[in-house]
Amino acid sequence: MSIPLVPQLLRSHLVELAENDQRLDGRRQWDGREVQLEIGILGNAEGSAKVRMGDTIVYAGVKFQTMTPYSDRPNQGGLMCSAELRPVAGRKHEPGPPSPESIELGRVVDRGIRESGCIDTEALCIIPGEKAWQVILDLYAISDDGNLFDAFALAGIAALRNAVIPFAKYELGDDRPLDVSKTPIMCSYHRVGGRYVYDASGREELGGDERIHITLGADAHVHSLQKGLKGTFTAGEFAELMEQARIKGDELRDLVHSLEGGN
Amino acid sequence: MGYGDVQMIDENGIRVDGRKAGDVRPISIELGVVPVADGSCRMTWGTNEVIVAVYGPMEAHPRKIQRQDRAVLDVRYNMAPFSTSDRIRPGFNRRSREISKVTSDALESVVLLELYPRSKIRVEIEIICAEAGTRCVGLTAASVALADAGIPMTDLVVSVASGKINGVVVCDLNKAEDNYGEADLPMGVLPNSGELAFLQMDGDLSQEEFQEAWDYNMEAAIVIGDYCAEALKNGGYNL
Repeated sequence: MSIPLVPQLLRSHLVELAENDQRLDGRRQWDGREVQLEIGILGNAEGSAKVRMGDTIVYAGVKFQTMTPYSDRPNQGGLMCSAELRPVAGRKHEPGPPSPESIELGRVVDRGIRESGCIDTEALCIIPGEKAWQVILDLYAISDDGNLFDAFALAGIAALRNAVIPFAKYELGDDRPLDVSKTPIMCSYHRVGGRYVYDASGREELGGDERIHITLGADAHVHSLQKGLKGTFTAGEFAELMEQARIKGDELRDLVHSLEGGN
Repeated sequence: MGYGDVQMIDENGIRVDGRKAGDVRPISIELGVVPVADGSCRMTWGTNEVIVAVYGPMEAHPRKIQRQDRAVLDVRYNMAPFSTSDRIRPGFNRRSREISKVTSDALESVVLLELYPRSKIRVEIEIICAEAGTRCVGLTAASVALADAGIPMTDLVVSVASGKINGVVVCDLNKAEDNYGEADLPMGVLPNSGELAFLQMDGDLSQEEFQEAWDYNMEAAIVIGDYCAEALKNGGYNL
């Protein structure tokens, strides 16, 4: 990663803005950028979605492979989720092996989806002990202007929810939709100018401190949490983020469901 | 099914996707699709979808890669894991390294690198959905994205592949034709000068068939070059 220029100037500017309840792009503390979500857009993926949040753009693609079930779970398939921060996504993203940042991204999104229990891994079993479906969710950033976590999580669950298991391609019968019973939604908060804000932009991430990621289900059940980067927070601050995540999560969940119409 | 067993062109010369021998698949071009990049282009070509972002010119580091007399061009061609029928494991492989290299060689032939000593220009080619001919789409889209970034160039590079199916020479192979066809001739043409900056071929063509494929590519490149020019003037083509 290249060394960010004049972050101290940016940091003091962000503090000034925060004191007046303002942000760089005119948003208020808990405002998100406009979200555009498209599903079923990639011809060669079994499920897909594209998310645009401001100038952050990501794709999610679902592929299926057959696997031998693990010996301790002979009647279960698997879910694998991986995030790639390709150098296409921004000046600061260098080519090379997966960065710790991209591994954290993939794993936090993975936990939110996996732990919600939205995918019944036993339903992925084809022949117990011999053959099962492995669901592979690939998250792909095209343009990084901050908050890739939420963009990936939203694209990921939307892609899974329109995925079709390719039984016919493997000569196992007719294609069937993947059953995804829940819609976990991640909301991320960065400390910018001393206070937490929702959906930080690239500039806010550059001049900000620690971040907190909260993934909630429809019933406000908590499915994954992650605190990243240097910094500390209070119980009171966290309680407020949880409340905000609940409100925003419901909004984004409705957006995902609104596209699914007749399915 | 083996090679040559698949009937891909009927007695009236109509191909599996309804095209005639010399027809190119539908193309669309959109500029500025990667907002954080200095120049970018999304090109759909048949069901191929390619996104190219250009970053730079910027400082080349580490310093050992700097050239005192010109910029270095850092070109990467990469296929998204979900871009093909079977998932691709992320990361470089021999195929993507070779395509990155020949694409870089082609682009270096038109970019005025000597205007930017000691700097670097990054060209990131991402295949989002692959049908056939992704190297051609990637190279063409890369030259458009470089122009969108305002990088001085002598010409675009427009790339297209012709080949042979069931003994008939056709332009712009689709996936079935690429898989079961008998030859593939991708070329990169400078539409204004008519010169070539990129050439590959594999398969089996007679001298006559080779000339026919060459001519198809030349004609198609001029037409596609016009689409690219229109996209650069108006922000897009066929959107």
